[in-house]
Amino acid sequence: MASITELLGSLCDCSLSGVSWKRRALGGVSREAFHRALKKRAYGALLSKLFQDGTKGSALAQSTIATTPPRNKVLMISFDLRVAGCREEAERLEEQLERLPEGASSGLKEVDAVLELLVHLAGSAPPPHTSF
Amino acid sequence: MASAANTNLNAVRETMDVLLEISRLLNTGLDMESLSICVRLCEQGINPEALSAVIKELRKASESLKASENCAN
Repeated sequence: MASITELLGSLCDCSLSGVSWKRRALGGVSREAFHRALKKRAYGALLSKLFQDGTKGSALAQSTIATTPPRNKVLMISFDLRVAGCREEAERLEEQLERLPEGASSGLKEVDAVLELLVHLAGSAPPPHTSF
Repeated sequence: MASAANTNLNAVRETMDVLLEISRLLNTGLDMESLSICVRLCEQGINPEALSAVIKELRKASESLKASENCAN
């Protein structure tokens, strides 16, 4: 099984796909140097979350959100989609959530943690291009 | 024994397909490769919120690199 260090390195590699390194090398930025800088930023982001204090925002609101099961959070997003008029997407989302096996039957140990990650990343990518 | 391993492999594959579809519907920007890495990091005990911060940070860094590349062209 790969270590956390190796996996974070792979994540950095993924985020560098599509960058032309031949031209970069001529400009003095090597892939290795940028990869090192990326890893530093990744660890910085990871560690900063570990040492955050809990004084920001209402403690009650924070604990309510923190204890809401990730499946319910996805359903809340689905509700928002419906309100925004995206009924098809909302139905598809609910359908997929029903298909998602729970616990050991999923073959994964941490399905809920992955769902939680997806909730945190929801809407973080630029909207897909629409063709006219 | 081999049959149990196959059943588990099929279950993982099916779960990953569903997770990828949910990811796409939520517009997270993760492809199958990065989603697989994230799943493995979660299984290693990494906090999902912290991991989302890492992904956003990596995106910012690579986008600024790509933007500087476009400016140079």
